[in-house]
Amino acid sequence: MTVTQQTQSDSPAPQAASIYQPDLVVVESIVDETPDTRTFRLRFKDEAKAASFEFRAGQFGEYSVFGAGESTFCIASPPTRKGYIECTVKAAGKVTGQLREVDVGDVLGFRGPYGNVFPVDDWKGKNMVFIAGGIGLAPVRCVIWNVLDLRDQYGDVTIVYGARSVSDLVYKRELEEWAARADVKLVTTVDPGGETPDWTGEVGYVTPVVEKTAPSPDNAVAVLCGPPIVVKLTLPVLERLGFADDAIFTTLENRMKCGVGKCGRCNIGSVYVCKDGPVFTAAQIATLPQEF
Amino acid sequence: MSDTKKKKSASSKAATPVTDAAVAGTASTADGSVVAAQVADASEPLALGEARFLTSEALGWLVEGLAAAGTPAVAPAWAGDAGRAAGGVGDAPETEYRVVSGAAELALGERLPRLSLKQFFLPPTEVLFSYKRNGADIELTPAQAARDTVVLGARPCDVAALPIVDKVMNWDYADELWNARRAATTVFSLSCKVEDDSCFCSAVFLGPAALKGSDGRLTPVDGGYLVEAFTDKGAAFVAAHADAFADLPDASANSAQAEQFRAAARERVAGNLQVDHGRLRDWLDHHFDDPFWASLGPRCNGCGVCASVCPTCHCFDIVDEPESVGSGVRRRNWDTCQTCVFTLHASGHNPRGDQNARYRQRIEHKFLAYPLKFGDVLCTGCGRCSRACPTGQDMAEILTAIDARAAEDAS
Repeated sequence: MTVTQQTQSDSPAPQAASIYQPDLVVVESIVDETPDTRTFRLRFKDEAKAASFEFRAGQFGEYSVFGAGESTFCIASPPTRKGYIECTVKAAGKVTGQLREVDVGDVLGFRGPYGNVFPVDDWKGKNMVFIAGGIGLAPVRCVIWNVLDLRDQYGDVTIVYGARSVSDLVYKRELEEWAARADVKLVTTVDPGGETPDWTGEVGYVTPVVEKTAPSPDNAVAVLCGPPIVVKLTLPVLERLGFADDAIFTTLENRMKCGVGKCGRCNIGSVYVCKDGPVFTAAQIATLPQEF
Repeated sequence: MSDTKKKKSASSKAATPVTDAAVAGTASTADGSVVAAQVADASEPLALGEARFLTSEALGWLVEGLAAAGTPAVAPAWAGDAGRAAGGVGDAPETEYRVVSGAAELALGERLPRLSLKQFFLPPTEVLFSYKRNGADIELTPAQAARDTVVLGARPCDVAALPIVDKVMNWDYADELWNARRAATTVFSLSCKVEDDSCFCSAVFLGPAALKGSDGRLTPVDGGYLVEAFTDKGAAFVAAHADAFADLPDASANSAQAEQFRAAARERVAGNLQVDHGRLRDWLDHHFDDPFWASLGPRCNGCGVCASVCPTCHCFDIVDEPESVGSGVRRRNWDTCQTCVFTLHASGHNPRGDQNARYRQRIEHKFLAYPLKFGDVLCTGCGRCSRACPTGQDMAEILTAIDARAAEDAS
């Protein structure tokens, strides 16, 4: 290095795009799931990127609304469906609020896929039990469709899904589709007071409904996602039903910024949820400090 | 001269030291032409003929020459005009690391700079990229490339933080922005006299003349500095500015004086703190819910000044900053786990809901999680957090308290 001989201009050339620079994605379609929750289908603008992009169930991304910032969501569409990704977003903060204003054709940013995966290949031949609360159905939906798209490779499929009220249920058309299928057992529930006069599902919190549904632990894997309180209360129920702690999988939803194990926000003990997770077994959760 | 260069180059192979002590005995070279002591622990005699001499006057020319050539030279400098007096802390004027252009600004070996060297590698705020709307489309332009920079006379505790933070910046995903600045910067440390009772570098596997992260080192001797280079980068800088680096006037006496300086500093800091990291980690690992943590939160305002002044704290936020309706920048800003919003979910749920949990995170990340994950304590013992804390949290005191509990458990 010959430092002094090198005269530098005041504005050095831009360097190559860093890991923090997203790919551009175009909004292909939008489904309004609930009054405050929307599902976006996104396609990479760059065709080569679109063709080469791969992910696996459980992974997440950092989604950009330029001018508002970035937010972390799971990829809610299954890896078995190529050419696009979907995310389901509840308006709660700055970026998610701005996503209310986004229209089809708008350009957003995406970084990912990040994080570890649900070991769906290891689950072939198993009975699948899916449990979700509220918008926690988004990561579970990815696995459900992954399994249903490869239906003959898996055993029984049971889905228990609950939301605060009927209007808070997401993926309503898919719920109807699953309810109509003979090879899926779907139990939906809403919190007491959240039912409508024509509601035919259960009324009650997710946890007691899981207990009542009593899915068999035999040759089964349980995938459980939802608000931290739902996960915390349902884990012991599954264990009481006989599910081994390494047969129960969940995702942790700690706040993130970078998604790549740098910014420190999602730390739980020595675990970076963004890199070592977001998928954890109940056995792994039990070894973590209870900071999620 | 060419012979000297060859030796320096050879010696650089051994220059990825962990501590002063760890280097001793490891500096053998392939061709055997360099004795181990050349880059070794300060307790070993220096090999004669390897060190150079930088007079205080030559340091001034060097800095002025670098400025004239457009190469940023970062050094400890008087803070404010003509050395503003420190308000209420002490009588000596404050110093800061900054890009210097004149000899009069230099404050090597004076008071510890207010902020660490971190800002030159992970700036308090930096542009990650800019965005511009163009009809329905959006154009992204990456951040500016790093500039070749030299650091002269940084404290070893500040320099040691760089390879420690390298680890988190490079596991799996490589942070190119950090790496580019690291690659473009040549760092000469300054053997430290030891600031005060808040220093505890020797309790975190370092020392007041630690080599970790240094491309070269200056040690004060009569009339200037004894200069050593430990890496190719450091040696290349010395070679490129050969006019500033002279032969030592009296190699034997100068080396002895440098060693005397370092030995005195080691002795000065040694009594400040002693910690058994093995049992400390073990205690932290098994006392997540210990009542001890409840004694720390009430003394913490959650202001996060400890993280701002810390050479190793690297947590950051990513935010967009619109500059007009259709354009703006995405920035990375320093952040800290000590604020109440750091882990707050959009739903209102907060995994670390009180200051006890947040302070525990600070300690556990530095002394348990980071060592487990990356093999280094995330602390270089600079003591800035203790000096800066408005409520008197004292890192050495906290570590002493935990170590005492750990000792009790172990017995």
